Amino acid sequence: MQTITRAWLILLALSAASTAVSFNVTLQLPAQIPLLGGIIILLLAWAKARIIAARYLELAQAPAYLRGFSLVLALFMLTLLGLYVAATPFSG
Amino acid sequence: MKYQTQKIALVYFVVAMALFAVQVSLGLLMGYVYVDGNFLVDLMPFNILRMLHTNSLIVWLLLGFFGAAYYLIPEESEREIHSTKLAYLQLAILVLGTAGVVVTYTFNLFEGNFFLGKEGREFLEQPRWVKAGIVVAALIFLYNISMTVLAGKKTAISNILLLGLWLLALLFLFAFVNPANLALDKMYWWFVIHLWVEGVWELVLAAILAFLMLKLTGVDREVVEKWLYVIVATALFSGILGTGHHFLWIGTPGYWQWIGSVFSTLEIVPFFAMMAFAFIMVWKGRRDHPNKAALLWALGCAVLAFFGAGVWGFLHTLHGVNYYTHGTQITAAHGHLAFYGAYVCINLAIISYAMPVLLGRDPYNQVLNMASFWLMSGGMVFMTFTLTFAGTVQTHLQRVMGMGFMEVQDQLWIFYAMRFGSGVAVVLGALLFIYSILVPRGEIVKPGPVERDRLTRDADHVVAE
Amino acid sequence: MTQTQTDQPFDQLPGDLMMWILIVSELLVFGAGLLAFMAVRVTDPAGFALAQDQLHRSAAGINTVVLVTSGYLAARAVGYANAGRIAATRWALLAAGGLGMVFLGIKFTEYAEKAALGIRPETHPFYTFYYLLTGFHAAHVIAGLVIFALLALRPTPRNLQVGAAFWHMVDLVWVLLFPVIYLLR
Ligand code: HEM
Ligand SMILES: [Fe+2]
Repeated sequence: MQTITRAWLILLALSAASTAVSFNVTLQLPAQIPLLGGIIILLLAWAKARIIAARYLELAQAPAYLRGFSLVLALFMLTLLGLYVAATPFSG
Repeated sequence: MKYQTQKIALVYFVVAMALFAVQVSLGLLMGYVYVDGNFLVDLMPFNILRMLHTNSLIVWLLLGFFGAAYYLIPEESEREIHSTKLAYLQLAILVLGTAGVVVTYTFNLFEGNFFLGKEGREFLEQPRWVKAGIVVAALIFLYNISMTVLAGKKTAISNILLLGLWLLALLFLFAFVNPANLALDKMYWWFVIHLWVEGVWELVLAAILAFLMLKLTGVDREVVEKWLYVIVATALFSGILGTGHHFLWIGTPGYWQWIGSVFSTLEIVPFFAMMAFAFIMVWKGRRDHPNKAALLWALGCAVLAFFGAGVWGFLHTLHGVNYYTHGTQITAAHGHLAFYGAYVCINLAIISYAMPVLLGRDPYNQVLNMASFWLMSGGMVFMTFTLTFAGTVQTHLQRVMGMGFMEVQDQLWIFYAMRFGSGVAVVLGALLFIYSILVPRGEIVKPGPVERDRLTRDADHVVAE
Repeated sequence: MTQTQTDQPFDQLPGDLMMWILIVSELLVFGAGLLAFMAVRVTDPAGFALAQDQLHRSAAGINTVVLVTSGYLAARAVGYANAGRIAATRWALLAAGGLGMVFLGIKFTEYAEKAALGIRPETHPFYTFYYLLTGFHAAHVIAGLVIFALLALRPTPRNLQVGAAFWHMVDLVWVLLFPVIYLLR
């Protein structure tokens, strides 16, 4: 199987996963760990974006750029996560 | 000078410098009005001084751009300007319009007259007949330059310069749109003002800077062009929607706050790129060009534009900040350093580069010119600081504490006094610059042994061009 | 004067430097928009959650699949162009563009529904960002379709690489927008 086809299939799987997780969150299932759903969703988004950059945009050919991109993207997602946590009311 | 018609630039530059002297002198008078509010109040009220100050600034900068185009287009497209007569006709129309403006403002003639009276919109106060004259002059110019470029070699520099000047003229047409609705009036006003200085003028600036770097550093054209495209792309990407930073409180929909904040923040990028470009070219370049003054102005331009437009612009561009600083002395601090760093400096750079050639005076003594750079730039930077402090105090007292405007102005007196001092330095610097360009006869310096040796051995080492 | 200066670091980038400048600029804009969205959300988490409940998560999820698949087809088109298979290139572009249309169809149905409910950008800060970010993204999808049409007219390998890169950027932005706006709560 071509790399690009594999990348596409992985993207499909990850997209399905994040939508599934979000419905789970709506149903308030993991109530014990309220932030878990959000963390997983952001992590999946990071993975998807990285695959698009590496395979679709062919940054895999320029490893230094891919590393830089992944790092900046990870910092960005961490900032989003920080804001996400800040917005979540903790009921003690 | 390789082409005879480059001489056209000489007249444009001289008129530009004359208006430059007028502009800064009026600025100095206004600086004193801030110190003593009643100064000249009967003879020449502040609002008229201000119109003359800002209008003469714009006109001389434009004349400088036109002069720069007449100077560099023949070299880039490798042929003479299409028509010398048209170029002088264009200048005559602009000079006539300027005279008309001065007389109309000073004596407030034809108040309220649709065609002859002033219009009363900041920067665009010119009576309609003058605006029409400006359009005619611009059309003549564009025709003249386009014909030259079309017939000759097309380079990235001349293409970008031409694109910038065409868009400049087209955007000016919004000056004729003046709806009664104040929000719409302001919106169209910014289409001219903002899209000029943070859009198409940047193209002109980048093209002139690229030309100077090409000549002064001897770096390959290919490298210069790559940078030029990057600068232009980022300038247009950020600058067009960056207009939103003026649509924060004028009655336009609220989403402009976010569009304006995000895109205008990115406007720093092209200014940073210009600074990086200038320094990297000098660092990479192997040519040791004797016109050190032009190089100083070009580098000074890149740095001060980055600070004045980029940093001082960003300072108050986020809507959460601008909510407090809008229309305070912070704005004045930014406006001054941005205009000076970007557009005054690039004009003085190309004038410093071209005038010795046009006057047949190379190599020549540039110490006076370089001294004027430090005097003028030092003055402008100091002025920016005093106005920034004044604006900070003003923002706090007026916008946070809620004190009255005039009460606050009293508190700012010390800053205004210091600003006047920096204005004196700027005016002296400007006069010194003009003197150094026009007066000292070229001392033909005989090359010393070292220089003679280099000239014979190093093919890249030029005396002047 | 005959100095050869290559900007070494840029030469490693696949494709066209100007397209990368555009891609990075776009990512900065959308990134800033998402950060602002999340920051404003901190001030009113309940209001944002309520507003978000009006959105169709599953429709947007389907749109993700549509766009990611369209990106795959665009990448295949590049491969075909490199192999000199012009007809296959055009078919792949047509399919990719068709899925782009599907994306827009679903998107505009969503907008129409919101409009029918009287939901406008001023209704709530959530919707200001929702309309701005997804609207700006949709504008890029439309631009991408125009680019596909141009590529079909001139399907050279170089053109395809540059044009497809634009489409992948649109894809990349969506996989970040979608979870943050539609899913996070
Ligand atoms: C060389 C380029 C620039 C020039 C010549 C320039 C000049 C000016 C001037 C004269 C004004 C005052 C306009 C008025 O209200 O009468 C102004 C306002 C403003 N400028 Fe610039 N500017 C430049 C670049 C920038 C950049 C790059 C930014 C942002 C990063 C920026 C942000 C602003 C903002 C936010 C205002 C409005 C201030 C207020 O609300 O009172 N400017 N500019
Ligand atoms: Fe602006």
